[in-house]
Amino acid sequence: MSELTIPRGKHVGARVNRVEDPALLAGEAKFVCDLTLPRMLHAAFVRSPYAHARITSIDTSDALAMPGIEAVLTGSDITAYPLSDLVALEGLQKTPQPVVATDRVRFVGEAVAVVVARDPYVAEDAAARVEVDYEELPAMTSVEAAMGDDAPLLFDDLGSNVVFQTTRTFGDPDVAFASADRTYRRRMRGNRFVAAPMETRGVLADFERASGKLTVWSSNQMPDLLRVTLSAVLQFPAQKLRAVAPHVGGGFGQKMTTHPEEVVVAYLALQLGRPVRWIEDRRENLLAAAHAKEQVIELEAAVKDDGTILAFRSRCVGDAGGYSFNQASALIEPWYSATLMPGVYKVQNYEFEVLAVLTNKTPIGPYRGVGWTPGHTIREMLLDEIASDLGLDPAEFRQRNMVTAGEFPYKACVGQVYDSGSFIESVDKALEMIGYEEFRAEQESARARGCHLGIGISPYVEPTGFGSEAAQQQAEFPFPSHDNATVTVDPTGKVTVALSVTTQGQGHKTTFAQIAADTLGVELEDIAVVQGDTDTSPFGMGTYASRAAVIAGGSVALAAGEVRQKILDAAGVLLEIAADDLTIESSRVSVKGSPGRGMSLGDVAMAAYWAPTTRQEGKDPFLSATRFYDPKATYGNGCIVAVVEVDVETGHAQVKRLAVVEDCGTVLNPMIVEGQVRGAIAQGIGGALYESIVYSETGQPLTTTYLDYLLPTSTEVPSIEVGHLESPSPLTVGGIKGMGESGLIAAQGAVVSAVIDALDPFDPEIEELPLSPDRVLRSIGRISG
Amino acid sequence: MKPSPFEYSAPASLEEALEVLAEAGSGAKVLAGGQSLVPLMNLRLAAPEHLVDLNGVGSLSEIRADDGGLAIGAMARQSTLERSTLVEELVPALAHAASHIGHFQVRNRGTVGGSLAHADPTAELPMILLAAGGRVTVQSKARGARAVEANDLVRGYFTTAIEPDEILTEAWFPRLEGAAGWSFQEVARRHGDFALVAAATVVRLDGDTVADAVIALAGVADRPVRAAAAEELITGEAPSAALAEHAADAVRGELSPTGDVHASSEYRREVAGVLVGRALSEAAQRAQAGS
Repeated sequence: MSELTIPRGKHVGARVNRVEDPALLAGEAKFVCDLTLPRMLHAAFVRSPYAHARITSIDTSDALAMPGIEAVLTGSDITAYPLSDLVALEGLQKTPQPVVATDRVRFVGEAVAVVVARDPYVAEDAAARVEVDYEELPAMTSVEAAMGDDAPLLFDDLGSNVVFQTTRTFGDPDVAFASADRTYRRRMRGNRFVAAPMETRGVLADFERASGKLTVWSSNQMPDLLRVTLSAVLQFPAQKLRAVAPHVGGGFGQKMTTHPEEVVVAYLALQLGRPVRWIEDRRENLLAAAHAKEQVIELEAAVKDDGTILAFRSRCVGDAGGYSFNQASALIEPWYSATLMPGVYKVQNYEFEVLAVLTNKTPIGPYRGVGWTPGHTIREMLLDEIASDLGLDPAEFRQRNMVTAGEFPYKACVGQVYDSGSFIESVDKALEMIGYEEFRAEQESARARGCHLGIGISPYVEPTGFGSEAAQQQAEFPFPSHDNATVTVDPTGKVTVALSVTTQGQGHKTTFAQIAADTLGVELEDIAVVQGDTDTSPFGMGTYASRAAVIAGGSVALAAGEVRQKILDAAGVLLEIAADDLTIESSRVSVKGSPGRGMSLGDVAMAAYWAPTTRQEGKDPFLSATRFYDPKATYGNGCIVAVVEVDVETGHAQVKRLAVVEDCGTVLNPMIVEGQVRGAIAQGIGGALYESIVYSETGQPLTTTYLDYLLPTSTEVPSIEVGHLESPSPLTVGGIKGMGESGLIAAQGAVVSAVIDALDPFDPEIEELPLSPDRVLRSIGRISG
Repeated sequence: MKPSPFEYSAPASLEEALEVLAEAGSGAKVLAGGQSLVPLMNLRLAAPEHLVDLNGVGSLSEIRADDGGLAIGAMARQSTLERSTLVEELVPALAHAASHIGHFQVRNRGTVGGSLAHADPTAELPMILLAAGGRVTVQSKARGARAVEANDLVRGYFTTAIEPDEILTEAWFPRLEGAAGWSFQEVARRHGDFALVAAATVVRLDGDTVADAVIALAGVADRPVRAAAAEELITGEAPSAALAEHAADAVRGELSPTGDVHASSEYRREVAGVLVGRALSEAAQRAQAGS
């Protein structure tokens, strides 16, 4: 059997209920804020009220004098290296961020001091008493302002607020544009998002002086990277550092990055010799946790009259915020927009310019669908405009330009190799699900009675399974990945699967157990999945970029396959038969075709551990294997179709229907895939109509509660119809492709396109998102000024 | 998001509550459903020294027909407005508007008196009270009970005629009678959000023409307001789509709303007109149907 094949038993591909749900539903799951330790103290941060200022003095005496206060530290009291990105791309400037500001603040919400108290209420009382004097500096809240000739500099020694600028050319876009029948151009200011995980960030750190062991529990997606980072910036020996991500209530990329607060809380525990916990409140999460996605993008297309797209040209300017500190740097947005701009379309002539610009706003970090969301949205908006101008149906126009089934593997001009897919088929299926023809008829009759319906079609390709090759194909620079899984059958025949990927609610304990169960021939309840603890999990990069299914799925299958062989070998000795003639089903090892002749897996395991007769020269008797897996790049795809209704007098838009076709190769658990798809689509609907972090001209954030940063709720998200296509990857173990980000890559575009379609009789002009009622009325000239 | 320290009292009767409030002085705040006050305290935008919790005062939750209208105890939960047949019968606009207040979890805690005393300029209840021409009763230990007409209740952003030692104990809404129709219209970013603009109208017909009309708006000023010029414009006229349009334009001419992160001044002015137009048409239809 090839190592690329996963045995298909009754688990893989089935709608298996999530094994993690009982604990979540019963409230027994422990998140960081459920963890308490004896003598634990509570930290609260003092944060800058200015977007850009020099700190002239800090007086902590009043705060320190309050009863219940154990410590107040400023930036100069903390010995830790600043945080910097890990990207080795030539020309990218580094902007190290001190974990607590020392002399200068660059965004509202940047920490300037930390208070440690016996309870969190007192900590906040004291934080309000820390007197900080600032000398205000001019704040820049747009990339245009920050790029101005006389713009004040955020980092004086860089000489510019532009931390990265480059141009790349593929094919011959100049010739394509010169020979085109028509050219089109569009500009869009994408909204600034925040990932808004249901659980805010939180850290608990405990230092045992006698053993010298530092344990840091954090709501984090990459505990191994957190451990390595803490070890580096605190100069603390890594062998005595344990990082744990307990139950994590959503991350969506925001919790990939090691945030300054994680370093500070660990430092406090080391200094004070007592456990210290910090639980971020929602206001802090909106102010100081990584924001996401804001870019200004210009896109041009060269098109022939027959509807062939000859070339694209794009300029993606990322609004990085005050620091390009997160581990993937400020390029996390504009670079990824630019490199995936051709998407599912066969466009081999392309030029992009990418800029990343510092502004006095919260730093940008990764968020589901990094970079791809705004690039995808503007491209689909432009394609609608072209189709309309050419008098072509928007679906047909798109499909004419898509990579066809016979063309895989297809090498996109930027370098991605699409291994397989169903680009055109997924559009057909999604349109069928929504009833496209019938919709067009309904749209016309509704319009006649003053009801404005619109439809948006948004086909996508999603880079998944981020291993080294996928990173190289997207990013042009090496970002090697390293992940492992350990599968162990214990002497009683029960199974532990230890993973390097972490879970933030995706159902890993179910899906990866499904793979192990089918490979080993056991039931789900015989398996425990362990992850998120650097003491018990093998090393790895954690969970991001729709990689876990491919990477952990592959490494679990490989490790479980190896253990299966060890079991069969041991059973072969015990049953005096060749191992190849044995099989395992329902935890029973038996002779193929003679199920009566066999023994229980528990008996085999017991013997394998302790019976001298089963030991074979040169073979490791331990029923355990750890396998590394770094998959080839693989691409998921699909299509989202949204139907909206717009009240053209009030500007209020509502998503009425939404259909999606998801092709993530081999489906491990359709229920979990559908859950991921629906969640991401809800976030995309948020991006289209509701979500936006807004700053005043002086850099004051105006959306600091959920009253103002509007997440879509059950009243804004319609029931979402999910269809499946399966184009297994020829390159990955089991043909698995990743998924999870696609909804947020493509749903914003689908909904925005649908609104534009609904407004078609009014010739809307849209340059900014989200499409609030105000913006809708402006776009059709009902209001101005 | 932890409040600063405060004293807390949980009186069991109105008399006791009035007494505690009188003693506590101007740093005290009355706690009803807590749906606005508690978040403000957690954000430290409000830092009362003393909270006087009315949730133990059972006598304040009654809803009854009274004096040709509907009397609602201050501690009646907003969700009861949606479910009460008495409210539906006597002041249907109130039942309808209540469903737009936050989400059901909010309405299960939020109270009628709390919303009226909080006086959010985008809130539904103060606007309905104004449109209906109702009043509230406020009481203090020192001066006893007094009535405050809807017109006089709200003085500006989150500011009312209620004195620091007074408790709003009851709201009274006159019954909608005769050939009268009502309408409530609201636009919010999401269902349950604060209104960008809301409008409530009452149209009373005399034969084929408008005998009198009330147009009240929320979200367009520092308090709920009536559009007097538009009201006057339609009085004596026969209801029609053109008349509603006319009134809408008049409303736009009367307003100079403030913009915020959710909608600009221009938006609120424009949409106030749209909603008034719709609300007048619907109210007139209801009046015609009921007469």
